[in-house]
Amino acid sequence: MTQAPDKEATNILSMNSVEVLYDNVMLAIKGVSIQVPKGGMVALLGSNGAGKSTTLKAISGLLKAERGRVSRGEISFDGTVITGLPAQRRVEMGICHVIEGRRVFEHLTPDENLEAAAPLSMNRATLKTEKQRIYEYFPRLAERKNSQAGYLSGGEQQMLAIGRALMTQPRLLMLDEPSLGLAPFLVAEIFSIIKKINKEEKLSVLLVEQNALAALEIVSDGYLIENGRVVMHDTAQALKANSDIQEFYLGGGSGTNFHDIKHYSRRKRWLS
Amino acid sequence: MELVFLAELAANGALTGLLYSLFAIGLVLIYKASSVPNLAQGGLTMVGAYIVLALARDIGLPLWVAIPLAAVVMFGFGMGIERVALRRLAGRPIVMILMMTLGIDIFLRGTTLAIWGGTSRSVELGVGYDPLFIGDVLISRIHLVGAAVALLLFVVFVLFFRSRLGIRLRAIADDYMASWSVGISVERGVGLSWGLASIVAVAAGVIWGEIQGVDQSLSLLLLKGLTVAVLGGLDSIFGAVLAGLILGILENVGSTYLDPFVGGGSRDLIVAAVLILTVMLRPHGLFGRQDIERV
Repeated sequence: MTQAPDKEATNILSMNSVEVLYDNVMLAIKGVSIQVPKGGMVALLGSNGAGKSTTLKAISGLLKAERGRVSRGEISFDGTVITGLPAQRRVEMGICHVIEGRRVFEHLTPDENLEAAAPLSMNRATLKTEKQRIYEYFPRLAERKNSQAGYLSGGEQQMLAIGRALMTQPRLLMLDEPSLGLAPFLVAEIFSIIKKINKEEKLSVLLVEQNALAALEIVSDGYLIENGRVVMHDTAQALKANSDIQEFYLGGGSGTNFHDIKHYSRRKRWLS
Repeated sequence: MELVFLAELAANGALTGLLYSLFAIGLVLIYKASSVPNLAQGGLTMVGAYIVLALARDIGLPLWVAIPLAAVVMFGFGMGIERVALRRLAGRPIVMILMMTLGIDIFLRGTTLAIWGGTSRSVELGVGYDPLFIGDVLISRIHLVGAAVALLLFVVFVLFFRSRLGIRLRAIADDYMASWSVGISVERGVGLSWGLASIVAVAAGVIWGEIQGVDQSLSLLLLKGLTVAVLGGLDSIFGAVLAGLILGILENVGSTYLDPFVGGGSRDLIVAAVLILTVMLRPHGLFGRQDIERV
């Protein structure tokens, strides 16, 4: 995919034909290209094992911890190529990845979770106001800031994971399945807070979700990944209206009847 | 008279116990930051003592220069071990990491034997062996000094783990991946914990080296240190101090009363019983973090 230079400048993240290898043999994603506009909100949809999490890890640099690497293609963040940089450097540049499964520091308090994520260069006064800012977005956390994080509810832990990521002062926030295992009202609450942060702080967001319905409500664009490839890219409106998407990801359309040859062959086309 | 005797046993047991704690604090530091029980802590303690000796006896520096200098050298040495031997094992099964630390311990014992030989040497701290009576209770001066050092380090590290750097180390112990995801350098954090544990090893090495002489048997402190650390909870510094006190008193009082019946050697039996019972009844120790399982 080639792009006009003026368009390039408006994207905070640009990923071009990226391939990821695990253990030097297993090809997890096969040429994924994704753009996230500055201040935009983009969703990455797809089923289990499609390559969504791998895509995020390629961007955040966490691939290395799982013995994966980008074997082809290029990732640039705000005009700088970051493909080979260590994860820590990318966080400093402003990319923060909220990994799947919440993963708060269980034996620390929420307050300490936030402090752990703040850069060491941040001075005490800023640290305090930054924590205050997080507690304003997530008042539930403020109530429990001195209890052990492992005992928070699933929703509170997800809020803490997002709050912790915000402490790194990101310009691009990547969220991996924030709705996982949460009650619908909590998903709605968390998504509305994400939207609010996106609007108020012009924070760009890349959201990975299996819950396509909830995701498409708050993003402007969506990519559909299947079997390590982008099979569809459109605006959220168009994706919601697309009959294939409705059928496979939104639970609407003609239902999930796997005896239906038409259904099967269309999905097969994506997977091939 | 009987009561005074008991008090004396308990007091000296408590002091010896605090010396175990002094050793165990080093184990706790590394465990707290990386969830690795460091079986080379005994070896590090022995090397720490040898380096103090080399600087003080062989080069002739005064002790007040030699000990801090040894601490600096050992800080670098500990970080170096982590960098060279352990970093590549990050994320591997814990048993491989354990075997590596065990291998390091044996390696350190062999190396010190080759360089300095096996003859026991004294640190000669100059603490003095005149009897010290507190009330009617006879106390060993060197044990008293060692216990004070243990308590001092306890306070220092409790404060350290409340600092921002300390919180980061605790975060690393909780979750490597999550730490990386927010830009915490897991590698540097674990390296720092090895450096700090090696400084503790110098302190433990000097005190224990003064008490029993500096030779390879110093590394055997690991067994009691590990028992204390496990009883205390492996990742709790306060636990290590309290467990040291408990084990020291139990060992000293218990063995005095048991030895006549079993014909000696009950000291080790008591230590073994404490270790086995802790693992059986309370695997996370007195103050260790429990793995949190929510429903």
